[in-house]
Amino acid sequence: MRDPLTAEVLRNALLVAAEEAGIVVVRSAYSTFIVEGSDASAAILDARGRLVAQSVATTLMNSMALRAALPELLADVPPGTMRPGEVYVLNDAYRGGVHTNDLLVYRPVFVGGAPAYFTATMIHVSDLGGLSAGGMAPLATDVFLEGLQLPPVRLATAAGLEPAVEAILRANSRTPDKVMGDVRALVAGTAVAAARLGALLGEYGEAGLAAGIEDYLDHTEAMTRAALAELPRGRFEAAYPIDDDGITPGVAHHVRVAVTVGDGGVVVDFAGTGPQVPAAINASASQSLAAAVFAVRCFLDPALPMNDGCLRALDVRLPEGSLLDARSPHPCGGRYVPIYAAMEAVFQALSDAVPERAIAASGILQPFSIAAVGAPYWIHLAYDFGGVGARRGLDGPDATGVHFGVGRNSVPQAEPVESRCPLVVESVGTIPDSGGPGRWRGGLGSRTVYRFLADCHVTTRGDRLRLAPPGRDGGLPGRVGGFLRRDRDGRLERLASKVNNVRFAAGEGFVVETTGGGGIGPPGERDLGAVAADLAAGRVTRRGAEEDYGVRVAEDGSLSRDG
Amino acid sequence: MGYAIGVDVGGTFTDVVLRHPSGAVTVAKCLSTHDDPIAGIVAGVTRVLGGLDPALVTRVVHATTLATNAVLERRGVRVAFVTTRGFRSIVPLGRHARVEEERYDLRFTPPPPPVDPADCFEVVERVSARGEVLTPLDLPSVRRAAREIARRGITSAAVCLLHSYANPAHERRVAAVLRASVPDVVVSSEVWPEIREYERATTTIMSAYVGPLMAAYLSRLRDRLAELGVRAPVHVMESGGGVVSAELAARRAVATIESGPAAGVLAAAGIGLPDVISFDMGGTTAKACVVRGGRPEITHEFHVGGKGSFGGRRAGTGVPIRTPAIDLAEVGAGGGSIAWLDAAGTLRVGPRSAGSSPGPACYGLGGAEPTVTDANLVLGYLGSASLPLSPPLAEKALDRLAGPLGVPRAEAALAVHTIVSAAMASAVHVVTVQRGIDPRGFALVAFGGAGPMHAARVAGRFGIGRVVVPAYCGVASAAGLLTGALSADRVLSRLGAADPAGLLDALAREAAGDLGVSPDDTGVRVERSVDVRFRGQAHELTVPWSASPDVLRGRFFARYAQVYGIEQRGEVELVGYRVRVTLPPPASPPEPPAARQPGTAGPDPRAADPRAAGTRADPRTDTRTGTRADTRTGTRTGTRTGTRAAYFPELGGYTDVPLHTRATLAALPGVLPGPAVVEDPESTIVVPPGWTAAPGPAGAVHLLREEAAGA
Repeated sequence: MRDPLTAEVLRNALLVAAEEAGIVVVRSAYSTFIVEGSDASAAILDARGRLVAQSVATTLMNSMALRAALPELLADVPPGTMRPGEVYVLNDAYRGGVHTNDLLVYRPVFVGGAPAYFTATMIHVSDLGGLSAGGMAPLATDVFLEGLQLPPVRLATAAGLEPAVEAILRANSRTPDKVMGDVRALVAGTAVAAARLGALLGEYGEAGLAAGIEDYLDHTEAMTRAALAELPRGRFEAAYPIDDDGITPGVAHHVRVAVTVGDGGVVVDFAGTGPQVPAAINASASQSLAAAVFAVRCFLDPALPMNDGCLRALDVRLPEGSLLDARSPHPCGGRYVPIYAAMEAVFQALSDAVPERAIAASGILQPFSIAAVGAPYWIHLAYDFGGVGARRGLDGPDATGVHFGVGRNSVPQAEPVESRCPLVVESVGTIPDSGGPGRWRGGLGSRTVYRFLADCHVTTRGDRLRLAPPGRDGGLPGRVGGFLRRDRDGRLERLASKVNNVRFAAGEGFVVETTGGGGIGPPGERDLGAVAADLAAGRVTRRGAEEDYGVRVAEDGSLSRDG
Repeated sequence: MGYAIGVDVGGTFTDVVLRHPSGAVTVAKCLSTHDDPIAGIVAGVTRVLGGLDPALVTRVVHATTLATNAVLERRGVRVAFVTTRGFRSIVPLGRHARVEEERYDLRFTPPPPPVDPADCFEVVERVSARGEVLTPLDLPSVRRAAREIARRGITSAAVCLLHSYANPAHERRVAAVLRASVPDVVVSSEVWPEIREYERATTTIMSAYVGPLMAAYLSRLRDRLAELGVRAPVHVMESGGGVVSAELAARRAVATIESGPAAGVLAAAGIGLPDVISFDMGGTTAKACVVRGGRPEITHEFHVGGKGSFGGRRAGTGVPIRTPAIDLAEVGAGGGSIAWLDAAGTLRVGPRSAGSSPGPACYGLGGAEPTVTDANLVLGYLGSASLPLSPPLAEKALDRLAGPLGVPRAEAALAVHTIVSAAMASAVHVVTVQRGIDPRGFALVAFGGAGPMHAARVAGRFGIGRVVVPAYCGVASAAGLLTGALSADRVLSRLGAADPAGLLDALAREAAGDLGVSPDDTGVRVERSVDVRFRGQAHELTVPWSASPDVLRGRFFARYAQVYGIEQRGEVELVGYRVRVTLPPPASPPEPPAARQPGTAGPDPRAADPRAAGTRADPRTDTRTGTRADTRTGTRTGTRTGTRAAYFPELGGYTDVPLHTRATLAALPGVLPGPAVVEDPESTIVVPPGWTAAPGPAGAVHLLREEAAGA
């Protein structure tokens, strides 16, 4: 009786501990991403480096980084030398981190004089140097252009922040006060979770908590294996392209995957993926693992818990020195480009395996930054989402992407941005006809238009802006978006998908168009009522209805189709 | 001072409380009439009035779920949304946050927007963040929109232009044009002039969506009460715990969305202890709220129909509504929650609920799945309820869990009870520990049908040593309504205001105007607060206003440290201004039932029992009253009413425990040591081992943890 009960009660308590840490970080941070709507990540791990629990808002990208980096921290700082009240930080992409601006912060929780657990928090901080303000360096050719690298170091003791580390962080940031505000928020988050963990230790005892956690991980593994066992047996292969590396336009790179479902479990093998490149389209292993796990989980029971138990049930293989497991100094700041290709490849492979849950390819999220050309720095760092690919039986949602389950709540609103930065948001909307036509239509891309009131630098990191997300089973690709400059006379000029610090003058406009999702099934088979509803809602224009869907729109608005 | 009536319409029951000028109280509990809530209200009011002359009633205070249900069930009126050119998609695109299982659901589709995308209109104009006009309002574009809205037969419009909180002139002119052809027009700068266009727009749209329904409903309610002879003004409780006139409630319908839960918290706040945690557990949800210094915490944004770990308050889920609301944490678990085994064989409770139909298995209404109520019956905690209960059906339901788990039935029942207590605890956790509040100095005030059965266990988890179960705990929200004072709120977002004090004074005059008074009138209370943040951050904290910048900064730093645990210092800025104007309270709080005089209505606790009040809550006859192992030996005048076998793990299983009512408890010479059970007409108080029960002031029952008893 104790086991199921302890598992359930502890599961809640551990999640709440992580949740509280995340809330504290979000509300006390200064980072532009956080200020404008993004969430913080927070997790509980044990001294063996196992992920025990993560907050609801924590993306797999971040929890996998926190999990991968903890053993690296313990390798440099033996647990026996750690003291209560200490906090550690790192961002090294080759040792579990993501990229410069993502700080991973850990606090040991002691049991019997030694660290038994770690509470961890992580956000994209305000600025830590590199080619452009805010943390994007899309044209970096090595990691040194991406900003400050931090190996595992002690960030704080019980007495407060380490003055030397604070001095280094401040010296390497365009926004030193904000970065330190972020750091304090991250530290406070770990303290909140550690206090909760301490209370749990008091309540359940050392052995009780440890046993409860084992139960939780075992239970999750059992649930995951049960869900995996429902997938059809077989080997399913797919590949997905990356537009270019930003340095050499027009040359695609590829991620390949074979998902093998056998009686013993599921193997996700990325053999055949392109080699790492001296450009910012590589990923560190933790990020690629996150993409693979996320993509597979999307074909399982969505209510499965996320912890090490889930990971034990999956065998993910990443070729060393490839786009998905890069080595120093290959830059990893643009990791979302290759890992989205990895995710999409797994989606397509599993869509072949489970056709009733098939999804067409989606538009990707498109990050960009707008920043002052010099001190004092203001930075607007944001992204918008592409349309989701059609799902068998369902249209794709508009401009919500498949971003590890993050929603549009993380896209900034116009009023707060305008109150902070010298710009005007002229419009925010969806792009008619941008969803890939099909029996089930892809989701629409979005268009946001900015007008600048001061000179500024624009930096972009786009993909799927040249090679459109394909449809499935006769569905058509989504319309590609792009980044555009509008001059004072209203003329539009398309920028490359990845540009660094392009100077815009006051009065010029900047247009962000995201890519639509692919469709499923021949558009000629789309229900006329669905076409009519799309026309009424402005998702499809009259021309789109006629050309893409082969319908005739009569004077009275009624639709018909030949044959 | 005349008679006052409190009416709380809930999901299952409509509770009506009549307070006599003497302070005595009469209560009635009727089944809610979902299709026409007024029918249930009329039944309840008729019953509490008995032979009383209705003209003696001077006040009716109402908590209504009309607005909530209209939003959740999408039964509001068709609304046209009018906004600045370039932004007609902001509401259809939405800001949905994917949480929990939605994260990994490729087949997830965001919930439909609160307004039809085709009914979103644009007008040509633009104002900057500082309120400067960048593009003058183009009146022909407004007239075009007005014509099209009228042509479509849409009668309600919501206007939200960019930065209208900074300069409402364009919005007002748009509204003036629309009003010529659209009967109901709601303007964002009047409803809630705060920065962030999406939340301001949804608040405005929801106001336009439910306002006409609310106006019609309240007008019908007044008519029906007048037919009964009750011609007193009808007041409505707002989500923030204030009470407004029916006219104002119709204009600001969104402000009533958390009407009922707010009333319950006010009841807990009125218990006579300064620091309490209100714990309200009903059939499908449980709610917790912190009251400090006699005042509940207030939040300024919540999400109707939201979801997430913390019971629907996760930003980005549901429809955000920016109005003051008592800051509750809500979890989707209650007496009706269903217990089940997941794929890996682990016991889970909720979130599915048996509701009132079919209800828990023991109701005998056709439910077969085990619920929390069934578990409590098997454990011997629950005795009677408003419905007759069937122990064999509960046992059969619990066996569906016990078999696969390989444990005795009682252990399965205890596991269900414990898991749901843990879920309840998470609600308490959110409003205390998570906000840096140590719950140990607080008393837990438990009410709602299921609250007193779980309260001691929940309290124990937090080291809380005192649980208070108020008199009439089954109708606590209706009683709480009568403690609310008439009030009005105003808010304004304004960056870099030159004269904050003057701005607050202007808001106070407007709010007082809603109540027909002046801020300077005798007895009128004006509370001013401001939203403060560190320059460069996005999240504000609300602190009481002070004209001294040093004092204000000190308050902000202290609050920041309390909330986030960070001793931060730095440049701060004021971003929002809030005023609440409150009229003097109408009357003294209800007199404790212990002090009531024989002969007045309501001295008998059974008056709260629908079966005793002459109208059956349920047409079925009571053929299955009582529970297994009940041995009712005493009478109401005895020292106890009997014993019952109840399950306590500390004692190794079932133990015969004394069974009391509040009356027999009051007759005891000393305190009642646990284990014991105290039965009320509408709920059951479980006194676990290690706790004692004793009568408290105002007819309440106090449970004390033994190690805490001396403290």
